[in-house]
Amino acid sequence: MNAPKTDESARPLLALDGISKSFGGVRASHDVSFAVERKSITGLIGPNGAGKTTLFNIITGVYSKDCGSIFFDGQDLGKSPVHKRVSMGIARTFQNVELFSGMSVLENVLVGRHVRTKCGFFGAVARLPRHREEERLAQKYCMEMLDFVGMAHVAKKPAGDLPFGWQRLVEIARALASQPRLLLLDEPAAGLNAMETKQLGELLGQIRQRGVTLLLVEHDMSLTMEVCDYIAVLDQGRKIAFGTPRQIQADKAVIAAYLGQEEF
Amino acid sequence: MKPILRNILVYGAFIGVVAAYGLLEKSTYYLQLATFVGLNTLLAVGLNMLMGYAGQISLGHAAFYGLGAYVSGMLTVHLGWSPWATLPCALFAAGAVAYVVGLPTLRLTGYYLAMGTLGFGMIVNILFREFRRFTGGPSGLPGLPELTIGSINLSHGANALFLVWGCVIVAFFICERIVDSRMGRALRAIHYSERAAAAVGVNTASAKLAIFVFAAVIAALAGFLYAHMITFISPSTFNFLASVKLVAMVVIGGMASIWGSLLGASLLTLLPDFLHVFAEYEMIIYGLILMLVMIFFPEGLFKNLVKLYERAKNR
Amino acid sequence: MPEFYQYLFSGLTNGAIYAIIALGFSMLFAATDLINFAHGEFVMIGALILVTLWPVMGLPLPLAFVITVLATGILGIVFERLAIRTVKKPDPIVLVIITVGAGIFLRGVAMIIWGKTAKGAPPFSKMPPLEIGGAYLLAQSVWILGIVLATVLVMHFFYSRTLTGKAMSACAINKRAASLLGIATQRMTLLAFAVSAALGGMAGVIIAPITMNEYEMGAILGLKGFCAAMLGGLGNSWGAVVGGFALGIAEAMAVGYVSSSMKDAVAFLLLLLILYVRPTGILGGKAIARF
Repeated sequence: MNAPKTDESARPLLALDGISKSFGGVRASHDVSFAVERKSITGLIGPNGAGKTTLFNIITGVYSKDCGSIFFDGQDLGKSPVHKRVSMGIARTFQNVELFSGMSVLENVLVGRHVRTKCGFFGAVARLPRHREEERLAQKYCMEMLDFVGMAHVAKKPAGDLPFGWQRLVEIARALASQPRLLLLDEPAAGLNAMETKQLGELLGQIRQRGVTLLLVEHDMSLTMEVCDYIAVLDQGRKIAFGTPRQIQADKAVIAAYLGQEEF
Repeated sequence: MKPILRNILVYGAFIGVVAAYGLLEKSTYYLQLATFVGLNTLLAVGLNMLMGYAGQISLGHAAFYGLGAYVSGMLTVHLGWSPWATLPCALFAAGAVAYVVGLPTLRLTGYYLAMGTLGFGMIVNILFREFRRFTGGPSGLPGLPELTIGSINLSHGANALFLVWGCVIVAFFICERIVDSRMGRALRAIHYSERAAAAVGVNTASAKLAIFVFAAVIAALAGFLYAHMITFISPSTFNFLASVKLVAMVVIGGMASIWGSLLGASLLTLLPDFLHVFAEYEMIIYGLILMLVMIFFPEGLFKNLVKLYERAKNR
Repeated sequence: MPEFYQYLFSGLTNGAIYAIIALGFSMLFAATDLINFAHGEFVMIGALILVTLWPVMGLPLPLAFVITVLATGILGIVFERLAIRTVKKPDPIVLVIITVGAGIFLRGVAMIIWGKTAKGAPPFSKMPPLEIGGAYLLAQSVWILGIVLATVLVMHFFYSRTLTGKAMSACAINKRAASLLGIATQRMTLLAFAVSAALGGMAGVIIAPITMNEYEMGAILGLKGFCAAMLGGLGNSWGAVVGGFALGIAEAMAVGYVSSSMKDAVAFLLLLLILYVRPTGILGGKAIARF
């Protein structure tokens, strides 16, 4: 599964091959390999400090990896910077929701559209017909995304004024505005109530129907087991299991890792 | 109100006020004072794009103001160039220096960025003072030519006022358009969270660098205008205190507020003139203003005035 | 060779002063995550108070010394109470502007109180200079080195042996955890400001006899102290000391062998270099950016 396969449609969208990363003396990721199938929802779970967010940061390019390779659609990501990866089709959301709080909801999503638009400083000042057209289309697309997550009615409000659950939806719309092929969600259900979590689960399914592959870190086990096709389990930086939710629930190593953890 | 209508009204009124003042005011002193308000507004609006919108502090912005003035000054005085021929050189030099310095400096954040820009400003000021052969050293460079077109002198009276305020109006127009565009949104996004801006695909390094160069070029333009208006330049005009004054103008008017820059620059240029005690107490007052505004109105005066107005309207 | 020793002595003397200014920056940063752009002004005020108390009013030197250090310490407390604790939005950009404003304010106040003309002070003792290897070491330099060394030892003792010092180190490592353990972090912040300002005042006291004391002297000293703190690694006390001496010696050599006009440029070039290349300093500092 490590080497990219030749058959395009059978090739996984994302393949991690032997990813390791240490901070000082602490090993945050150790020889992690797994693949994310096209149009799947893959979950990444593990006890606190298992290295899930680190892995996210390596995939998106925030951290450089010490060794190993990441293939996105068969292409080695190498050292390409964060914004490059976004334009290749990798988008993400944050654990604590990081919206641009003083900007309007629509503006937030428009920033998400950044990589699919081109207008530079010259265009900003000149505002030729093609620049106006690009802006109009971008606004239209972003309104569609807001409508898709059900937040179109607050488009003009400052993003920081929204309740937390809504901010999370706006953040997802912002990530979708870049037309990603792979969407990384860092604990999308954190801070949501049961009702909101249920709606989120449905939304994830709808996102997948648009052809987007999802990789999510999640603590809410019922959500993970319900929506994910595959689950990778990390413990202390290592991958200890990979499989369908059913396989994972029966996996001895996983049970051992979780039983050792008091909080769970 | 439609944006186009609003623009015509606002800029029309702006141009009208400047024209009326230039045509009606006869005192050379007050014309020059108003011209200085314009120069400072130009500097403040440029710095506000960098500091207020993109959130990147600069404590060395006067260096670019000085570079514009000195590059043009040295070329005209030593090589006898026409001032107009030096304008592109001055703007280019400031932009190039901003690019080279910004490349490593803008990787820094917070205090480190503040110290980095401060150190840069200090070094430039030391160069102005120490390269005596070219810059005239601490006592300054006299004998700069005035700006003329044919027989019209643009360095004095109402003409100077129109020239400077013309630049201000164009700069305002450009800045307003940038702020409300794809790049402007990206810059504001960097201000709120650089990490999130990068995560949604903004090339934060190049966006910051671009606006840094932009601010530097605007400052150099102001330096060029200043140099040929006063026809004498010296390092102390472009020192650390000058950089602090520029920051004060931005902060008082309001960060991320283009029209606030006008307010901040006007207040800090006109107040010393109205309060004659200012000279001795200048530093105390600047220091107090910076502290008090940041403690009580971190959003600046302009936004607070707007809020007051809206509250009064709703009542 | 005597030349070299002469430059070295001058470098050590200035270096000791940079070291103690850097220590003020560094310990404040360690305890509060804040850089005080007005720190140099405390040095200036220390020097001017000493000049007033000792040569002008004729107080005995040790008494003037103690009063000056206490006065600047109290000024630090007042500063924290009035200008730092009142801040509603403690972003770095806001705090930078506030401390820059405070610096300009103090400079203005000093100009009003002490005027624009520079004042000198006699050396602490009237001993002749020591001759070492053909070069002369001023008695004042010996005083400076001795006092700085003693201060560093006292600070070291404070951090490693006293409860308050340990509490302060705890705050420096993790403020929230420290407060959960019952350490009054607000009081620690206040104390850090007081000690940092007092260190600045002390730097002013020992530098007073070898410089021209006027209201504008603080800015450049503050910047060099910051540069030294960065060299050694911001937040690292030993680093501040090492950085101070390194900067002092580098500067003295540049003045001696290159050009005296480049004296101030050395510090800023080093500052930019360290910011660009190794922002954690020679000895490593507190983490600069955390994700």
